[in-house]
Amino acid sequence: MKEIMAVVRMKKTGATKKALVAAGVAGFTAVKVMGRGRLVTDPQELEKCRQKLLAMGMDEFSDAGETEKLVTGFLDGSRFFPRRLFMILAHDDDVPRIVEAIAGANRTEYGIGDGTIFIMAVQDAVRVRTGEAGEAAIW
Amino acid sequence: MLLIRAIVRPEKKDEVLAELSSAGFNAATMVDVVGRGKQKGIKIGGMVYDEIPKTLIMMVIPEEAREKVVRMILSVAKTGTDGTFGDGKIFVSPVEEVYTISKGTRGL
Repeated sequence: MKEIMAVVRMKKTGATKKALVAAGVAGFTAVKVMGRGRLVTDPQELEKCRQKLLAMGMDEFSDAGETEKLVTGFLDGSRFFPRRLFMILAHDDDVPRIVEAIAGANRTEYGIGDGTIFIMAVQDAVRVRTGEAGEAAIW
Repeated sequence: MLLIRAIVRPEKKDEVLAELSSAGFNAATMVDVVGRGKQKGIKIGGMVYDEIPKTLIMMVIPEEAREKVVRMILSVAKTGTDGTFGDGKIFVSPVEEVYTISKGTRGL
């Protein structure tokens, strides 16, 4: 029995839910969390992000200096961004399939910030309604 | 790899996260939670408050960083010199696998 914890983009919540249902998941719990990842130090990646963000922010109403400052603050790595945390209980042999489904639904062309999947062992689970314990409590 | 779940005072979270980040542990997830501890909440007058707001910080770290990270959270999240009731708790549990979605790689 394993617990899969996946931190994904807020916008990808729907896609992740669909992918999970398609992969055959018994059920899951999702929470809104704030998160940040490993510090990105590759200047090439950062420059790419920077250009993309600057292009998004510029219109006739925005002040170039302000936008620049905002984007710099965004990319310095210390800021927390809203994310969705999925917690899924699964049988051991279903884990690779579920991981594949989550990764497939969440991979984007941005290269940074698509999230992380953690897999942990679970000692026991009990279904409250029937009192079933162990593997039977999942499905 | 280990999952560190630290329940700290909300006013201490920025300090804890800044300290961890400066030591190279930048990745973290946090949620606002409510809870009570061994003291069964706070009693003020006749009123018992047993849903005290805290922040839950979750981070996955390599096994060899365990002592360093735990010590760091313990020292920063403490209030006063001896610590006070309500400073929080740290839970450590094993993580078997980690995948980074954007790169599709396994491991931290």
